[in-house]
Amino acid sequence: MTAVISVSGLVKTFGRARALDGLDLEVRAGEVHGFLGPNGSGKSTTIRVLLGMLRPDAGHVQLLGGDPWRDAVALHRRLAYVPGDVTLWPTISGGEVIDLLSRLRGGTDARRRAELLERFDLDPRKKARTYSKGNRQKVALVAALASDVELLVLDEPTSGLDPIMEATFQACIHEARAEGRTVLLSSHVLAEAEALCDRLSIIRLGRTVQSGTLGELRTLTRTSVTAETVRPVDGLAGLPGVHGLVRSDGRVSFDVDGEHLDLAVRRLTEAGLRSLVSAPPTLEELFLRQYGDELTADDGGRAGSGPA
Amino acid sequence: MTGTLVGAGVLFRFALRRDRLRLPVWLLAGGALVATQSTSNQTFYRTPESLAAYRASAGSNAASIAFSGPPVGLDTVAGTVAFEISSTLVLLTVLMAMFTTVRHTRADEESGRTELLRSTQVGRHAPLAAATLLSVLACGAMAVAIAAGAALTGLAVPGSVLLGAGTASVGLVFVGVTAVCAQLTGVTRGVYGLVGGLLGVAFVVRAVGDVTGNGLSWASPIGWAQATHPWSADRWWPLLLTLAATPLLLLTARRLLDRRDLGAGLLQPRPGAATAPRALSSPLGLAWRLHRAALLAWAMGVALLGFVYGGLAESVETLIGDNPDAQVFLGASSTADLVDAYLGVTFRVTALLVAGYAVSATCRARAEETSGRAEPVLTAGVSRTRWLGSHLTVALAGATTLLALGGLATGISRALVTGDAADVLRLTGAALAHAPGVWVVAGLAAALIGAAPSAAVPAAWSVFGLLLVVTMFAEPFDWPGWISDLSPFAQTPAVPAEAWAVAPLLVLGTLAGVLVAVGLAAFRRRDIETA
Repeated sequence: MTAVISVSGLVKTFGRARALDGLDLEVRAGEVHGFLGPNGSGKSTTIRVLLGMLRPDAGHVQLLGGDPWRDAVALHRRLAYVPGDVTLWPTISGGEVIDLLSRLRGGTDARRRAELLERFDLDPRKKARTYSKGNRQKVALVAALASDVELLVLDEPTSGLDPIMEATFQACIHEARAEGRTVLLSSHVLAEAEALCDRLSIIRLGRTVQSGTLGELRTLTRTSVTAETVRPVDGLAGLPGVHGLVRSDGRVSFDVDGEHLDLAVRRLTEAGLRSLVSAPPTLEELFLRQYGDELTADDGGRAGSGPA
Repeated sequence: MTGTLVGAGVLFRFALRRDRLRLPVWLLAGGALVATQSTSNQTFYRTPESLAAYRASAGSNAASIAFSGPPVGLDTVAGTVAFEISSTLVLLTVLMAMFTTVRHTRADEESGRTELLRSTQVGRHAPLAAATLLSVLACGAMAVAIAAGAALTGLAVPGSVLLGAGTASVGLVFVGVTAVCAQLTGVTRGVYGLVGGLLGVAFVVRAVGDVTGNGLSWASPIGWAQATHPWSADRWWPLLLTLAATPLLLLTARRLLDRRDLGAGLLQPRPGAATAPRALSSPLGLAWRLHRAALLAWAMGVALLGFVYGGLAESVETLIGDNPDAQVFLGASSTADLVDAYLGVTFRVTALLVAGYAVSATCRARAEETSGRAEPVLTAGVSRTRWLGSHLTVALAGATTLLALGGLATGISRALVTGDAADVLRLTGAALAHAPGVWVVAGLAAALIGAAPSAAVPAAWSVFGLLLVVTMFAEPFDWPGWISDLSPFAQTPAVPAEAWAVAPLLVLGTLAGVLVAVGLAAFRRRDIETA
């Protein structure tokens, strides 16, 4: 498969701050690629370099076969972008913004526009000033999804959407994928990425720390479990994949690798389960667990090696 | 204290803290304005003859009555102070009242801060009560500042106190007016528009009333304040009108507040269009859409100014025509030359104002960039050059249109007096002589936005400020010639008093073109910055 986006060794500094520090990213044609990382890890900076808004200081960047800085205008006709923080013109209605952006990209498909407005339950007559954050995001999403483009670049597009709209969004991305479009989806919501993405790149402190398919990355995912049982639980510590076991006052809490969750919970049930809380780790926790040693060893800066 | 006012005290102290720097600036400006006017009038009109000459000229000049107020008490120096400064003081105080009231009512509500506060132990009426209390007290402080400025420079105390009280009373009425308007519209800028419009109506009604002497001034709160005639009749009773009007307005605002939801206005905003008109298909179409409201407001202001300037030319004829000294000073040999010299100066002032528009319109592009609104356009197949060029096109064409409009309005009102229709074209052309100078100022702002983006907006406004200072002070204070020569407007021939000179205009036009090119080229080479 050919690469739609190919980035290697990308460096971008702002004054003394090093926002991107040798970042690598490869997005293949026709895939939905999750771009994950905590706040401030450099996701938006990378995307803004890919869009030609920022000029890279070092490294190789290629997008749709061109140079995003030099060929910006020609490349932009073939992609649509949804920023993470959508700011619109306060006195212009949502419908007008959608039409303007579609026309700039080379034309509107009236039927598709109407269908998307319906699905996202968006009133196009309201002035942008009166839209909530979620509705501003819907305006940008409808404008992007209504465009006939090869590549969708979405920067945390669902941070203001309710669960129903989140489902609509996911359906739209599945459709885009079925139509053969490529999607770069930045997010810090693991669940969304799990539901949508074929491959993922995880970045931290301006570097790619993990990259691969969902299956490859899932082995990294641990679930935190806190349980209260009638009798003390035996033999948890000896189970495979259980980490950080803590007991206090009839409660146990531990982290367990996804593939071993079943066995651990069975052991809890045998001890008479009173209450159970289980949560997948946040991305930040995942990073800290996975790379904490290297971080402390190297003064908090240079995590990980290249793609796994 | 009833339930709906709970928390008003805390909010008031909080508002006072937020305004601890702003309010003293307003008050200081008020006091300083009176003190300056008082000192300079006491110097200028030292002799009975000079006072009599002033009374004869200003007191019978419709234009100066229209701007200042009723020409009463002009037989004393103190009376001339009241005549000359009171309308400026009223304007200052009303603006203070409006900004302070809006800042703590609609602006806080629009930004969502009021909702956060109201979710705590704060009653429904508390924010409005705190805001109006602060504004009312600010007006009171303004009365004290004005009275002090006048009395400390040697004017009689009762008149000083009355001038302060009268000015503050108009402020009080407009605290009420603003409080009502803040309930009507849900948009902060809309409140400014409504209050500004009502202030304009109050000013015009008063002006017409004072010029015609038909009593219409009593329909305007500004007229009530000026009917006190400080230092001449020293009447206090007209202030009773404002004391009656203010509580009525505040109670109205309170009742209106009860009839609306938090965050909303009583007037429902009109829905926008569901689809974009054909004009909104390009970066230029978008730029025009974003700039047009401001340009329209500027156009109305510049046209009005042009009409006033053109109309005043008549009184220049009568005032200076008989004064040989003034003729020598202006370097004019005939009355017609005198009027042209005067018009040349007014066009330079108009050009300076239009340069202000050009700076603000050019800086709009930078605001679009930092607010993140440039990115959606720049990632939709629009080049950097086309995007910035669209904003610059509107700014440059808009500024040029404003100049033409100012000249046209001056020409029309002048032609109405002279009956010579040729004046219309002649003066429109004369105003347009300043276009290259204005383009240079806009071009400089564009170059800064491209090459020094983070400093661009303050730097561009500083340049504009320097131009103002140079234009106002270089001649009266006899600064070295090279300083004023730095201003593009000093390089522009003062048409119609001077002959058209093409060479300097070509130089200015070329310079503007180079600056714009530098701005566009530098903008292509740098990062797009978002705040």
